Amino acid sequence: MEKTTVVIGVIGADVHAVGNRIIDYALTQAGFNVVNLGVMVSQKEFVDAVIETNAKAIFVSSLYGHGELDCRGMGDLLKEAGLEKVLLYAGGNLVVGKTDFEPVEEAFKAMGFDRVYPPGTDINQGIADLKADLAALG
Amino acid sequence: MGTYLLLDVGSTFTKGLIVDTDEVKILGHAQAPTTAQTDIVEGIEAVKAKLADVIAAHPLTATRLCSSAKGGLKMIAVGLVPDLTLKAATLACTSAGAKLVGTYSFTLSEREVEAIESAQCDVLLLAGGTDGGNQEVIIANAKALSRLTPRFPIIYAGNKSAADVAVPILRQHGFTVSVSDNVMPTTGVLQVDSAREAIRAVFLDTIVKAKGLSSVASVIENVVYPTPSSVLDALSLLANGTPNQPGWGDLMAVDIGGATTDVYTMHQRLPVSDNAMVRGLPDPLIKRTVEGDLGVRFNAASVIDHLSRVESVDQGLSDYAHSLALHPHQAANPDFDVRLAGACARLAAQRHAGRLESAYTPMGRIDLQVGKDLRPLKTVIGIGGPLIHAKDVQEILSQVRYNPAQPEILLPVDPHYALDKHYVISGLGLLAKSHPDAVLTLLKQTVEELTHDQS
Repeated sequence: MEKTTVVIGVIGADVHAVGNRIIDYALTQAGFNVVNLGVMVSQKEFVDAVIETNAKAIFVSSLYGHGELDCRGMGDLLKEAGLEKVLLYAGGNLVVGKTDFEPVEEAFKAMGFDRVYPPGTDINQGIADLKADLAALG
Repeated sequence: MGTYLLLDVGSTFTKGLIVDTDEVKILGHAQAPTTAQTDIVEGIEAVKAKLADVIAAHPLTATRLCSSAKGGLKMIAVGLVPDLTLKAATLACTSAGAKLVGTYSFTLSEREVEAIESAQCDVLLLAGGTDGGNQEVIIANAKALSRLTPRFPIIYAGNKSAADVAVPILRQHGFTVSVSDNVMPTTGVLQVDSAREAIRAVFLDTIVKAKGLSSVASVIENVVYPTPSSVLDALSLLANGTPNQPGWGDLMAVDIGGATTDVYTMHQRLPVSDNAMVRGLPDPLIKRTVEGDLGVRFNAASVIDHLSRVESVDQGLSDYAHSLALHPHQAANPDFDVRLAGACARLAAQRHAGRLESAYTPMGRIDLQVGKDLRPLKTVIGIGGPLIHAKDVQEILSQVRYNPAQPEILLPVDPHYALDKHYVISGLGLLAKSHPDAVLTLLKQTVEELTHDQS
């Protein structure tokens, strides 16, 4: 059976590369085909890569606090491209400061994200969720 | 080994070159005006007549030919996403020496299929999807194309996983299809060599007949390239050298013609400026761009049009350029010609070169590089009649230099210049694969470096 493709990258003007490499490594180890777009990735680049590679999920990272601004409209962009079935996850330090996580999660879900993770989440949590969500999609 | 007649046909002049690969010597060269587009054979005969004495003394082992006849190799590229597989497909076409007459992305519409039908294309390159990626679109596009009259060969250079479905569809409908490696096997990775070879192979097999060259086919060996493709081979050899002798290193070449201007850059590794992050699809190490709107005769008016958007153009030059477009064979004005050729060189080089943009982030300023950084390049070679016959070649070629007023355009900062004075590059390229050492020696001898004091 062919491996499921996941597109990953750090969105916006963010250049934090370490977590990106860890996610790449962990997803690859877990048996996924990872398309890593690296840092400073625009929404369009995520969408383009999903179209070409037939990816089933996108992992968006953001660590510099501007995540909400960078991710705004991304769910709509995927819908516009006919990719509403693609799973969309976000994680990192999505907003500046020590904000309560609940409103952040709510805001991201409203933008079309399927899963949103607070700072310090173990990547294995995301992988377990991904497997469950993919299984649910069939 | 032996004596080769190398012909370059299809432009204003048919050029011939006789090379002895054992003695590593150019025995003779000649050119004859090509009067009408159809008179390829006539041009070849005229060149051979001029070289009759040489041929009598040195029996020819073989004749090889490169051609830009009937507008050169016209191609259509089809991809999926414009910035990914379509861009990779267009780069494969231009680096094989083709001129693009159409580019299409995503699933082809009925209207686009009709446009492809009516376009005069020689070869179509079908790409789309990374390996293992999207299959639906390239299969749908193969189905759409299969409804057309199979007048042109197709090169399948898309998702390998869809080839077994898409290729038989086209073949069943009478298309000749060659399958090459995917031009973009994974996102952001460019792999154009295999597609380039496939394009060359179909050029030999099918295009030669269509371009009215079949009557000369009997005299030529199985080496027939599009002219820009032969130029690329020669330049690549001159840059990289052979295991036995070094080349000149990374270089740039500008080929200025009456209707088009081509720019080539050869690199051994992708040049990235310090601390910059590369954005977008990386440029191929061997890159060619062709500007169909920049030329010193048929497109002189268009050059003025572009020039007037960035600087004031005096009336004399403007009038001259506009009259050239109508009467390309009128008496030349050498000073105006230098300015026109210089503008072609500058505009074409700017479009070819990479760009640097600064972005301000919470972590400070970051430089983003798109395309190739040509600033460290040390050699710029001029090719083409308008340069060979120019009053001041150095003045023209120096237009490709980095301009401190436009620091974002990454052009060569301090290059020295060379000229293909005897028009040997396109011909010698035909021997680059079979006789690399002889060709490299001859290129180094004949491509003349212009000294700085000429400026």
